[in-house]
Amino acid sequence: MAVVEIESLTKSYRVYHKAEGLAASLAGLFHRRYRDVHAVRGINLTVEAGELVAFLGPNGAGKTTTLKLLSGVINPTSGTARVLGHVPWRRENAYRRRFALVMGQKNQLWWDLPAAESFRLHQQIYRIDRDQYERTRDELTSLLSVRQLLSQPVRELSLGERMKMELIAALLHSPEVLFLDEPTIGLDVVAQYNIQQFLKHYQQQRGITTLLTSHYMKDVAALCRRVVIIAQGQIIFDGSLDEIIGRFGGRKVVTLLFSNGHIPGDLRAYGEVLSAEPPRVKMLVARNAVTATLSRLLEHHPLEDVSVEDPPLEEVIADVFSKAEDIGRRSGAEAAGRLVGG
Amino acid sequence: MRTHPSYLRVLLTFARNSLVRDMTFRGNFLIETLSSMSWVIMNLGFYVLVFQHTPRLGAVTDWGEYAFSWGKYEFFLFLSTTLVINSLVQTLFMENASEFSELIRTGKLDFALLKPIDTQFLISLQRVQWASLGNLAVGVGLAAYSLVRLGWVPTAAQVGLYLLFVACGVAIMYSLMIALAATSIWLGRNQSLYDFWFYITNFSRYPMEIYHGPLGTPLRLFFTFIIPVMVVVNVPARFLIRPLVPQTVSDLTLPAFAILATLVSLTASRYLFQRSLLSYRSASS
Repeated sequence: MAVVEIESLTKSYRVYHKAEGLAASLAGLFHRRYRDVHAVRGINLTVEAGELVAFLGPNGAGKTTTLKLLSGVINPTSGTARVLGHVPWRRENAYRRRFALVMGQKNQLWWDLPAAESFRLHQQIYRIDRDQYERTRDELTSLLSVRQLLSQPVRELSLGERMKMELIAALLHSPEVLFLDEPTIGLDVVAQYNIQQFLKHYQQQRGITTLLTSHYMKDVAALCRRVVIIAQGQIIFDGSLDEIIGRFGGRKVVTLLFSNGHIPGDLRAYGEVLSAEPPRVKMLVARNAVTATLSRLLEHHPLEDVSVEDPPLEEVIADVFSKAEDIGRRSGAEAAGRLVGG
Repeated sequence: MRTHPSYLRVLLTFARNSLVRDMTFRGNFLIETLSSMSWVIMNLGFYVLVFQHTPRLGAVTDWGEYAFSWGKYEFFLFLSTTLVINSLVQTLFMENASEFSELIRTGKLDFALLKPIDTQFLISLQRVQWASLGNLAVGVGLAAYSLVRLGWVPTAAQVGLYLLFVACGVAIMYSLMIALAATSIWLGRNQSLYDFWFYITNFSRYPMEIYHGPLGTPLRLFFTFIIPVMVVVNVPARFLIRPLVPQTVSDLTLPAFAILATLVSLTASRYLFQRSLLSYRSASS
């Protein structure tokens, strides 16, 4: 069953184009120049129940805007979307009771109060039965090991602890759909790992449909089988992480260990040399030429060891992003999404 | 599953959480209470001075049917009504309305829009500013003192009508405030909100009778029929001061108009609020 259905969804903003300097600011008082920023341009996407999908893309690609549209926080310029059969931006209570949005950059808990007080408010607003509320709260606080922090004012918590509390607040009403916008931003490695593990466990246990944006490839690799790459407001890839490497990682990293300790001078003929520290050399070789290149190398040079790996995911994705930007620029849409967050 | 929250319970939780917060910073709470109370008392001193120069206010009018003048303690009853209404508005809505502008600027309005509860309710009432209740106490005290000095004992019906029209007054003031706050969605920022609200509602602070003549009459008409702030205090105050038996036509028409003005203000401000949400852009990621 499809939980999220998006069809030709588009969101454009008109932004005030402000030139630099005081004179320009004064001129802007009388005559304003506007331009349209296309944050999301005709996106089509279907997400099945229980899927965990990651949105990847450079800053300003339209990831966050898409999540905001699906949460009904903003209205689209055109196109349709349905989540659990509801049109999000109608903001019906029946829909709002069934999903949650967590934003790593914005917090909703009362700053000066213990998280427990904010949780109680959520209990009232979502009208959660007392028993169920206490059960869920206790379960979540022990899973995230923040039980002892419940009565401490939120302003005294660390960023990681606060993020955990934000997650709990969002999950108290047992949503069926969860939107996570950079939930691990700014966290240290341990806190990141804990939140990843929690999300993984929770998602598997409950089978809730989850859409996640993140800049940390580790989040994505740990959590999501399906990845959607958005750039310039458009979906340019939809598939598995492995497929990204297969499709965009056109080259492999070949590491060579020369047995005589000398590095031959003609290595450029075989591929792009990344690093050369005798007796070890790292080079990039086209995927389809790996076998031929290796046999030629073995024929001409004394090699002790050889290894062939995929390039790191980060590099492949960065490569995809920059290619997407080039394409966007060439199609004359250089302004797309640059000014709008996420 | 019940799809609607209990609004009363949510409101009580707002009030409770705000009180917990206020008690955390009790020094701040105390200073806030004392400073607004001393401002009120200084104002009172000013009116005592005014009544050293004249025994009554608004004795001469050019619109005979409203003809009524205010002696010192009658005016103090008026003043106490102003205090009661303003302190209720400040306690319940003031902080929320100025916070609304901030929520829009920072994009934190997102969270309010996600909740399965009426957004206007949530935005308007989530913080209760308990420190402003001090003025309510001053207002009630002043009213009691003035009634004793006048030797009047209001009937139950008078008190009932008084409270009803105080509620209408609060509703009109709130409507004006939330409507002004809603404009910050289009302006991006509206920091002069409080100033502007203060300038307009300033016209509610004096008896209508003083607005007459070539300058007063247009002002009175404008602030009665276009922006109905003049009925906010005038109407309930009259119920406390004058006998219930209507003496002029306006004793009937003015309260009726106040009810109408309340309904129209609430409806219009809600419409404006809803419209403003359509333009919300949700700043930052």
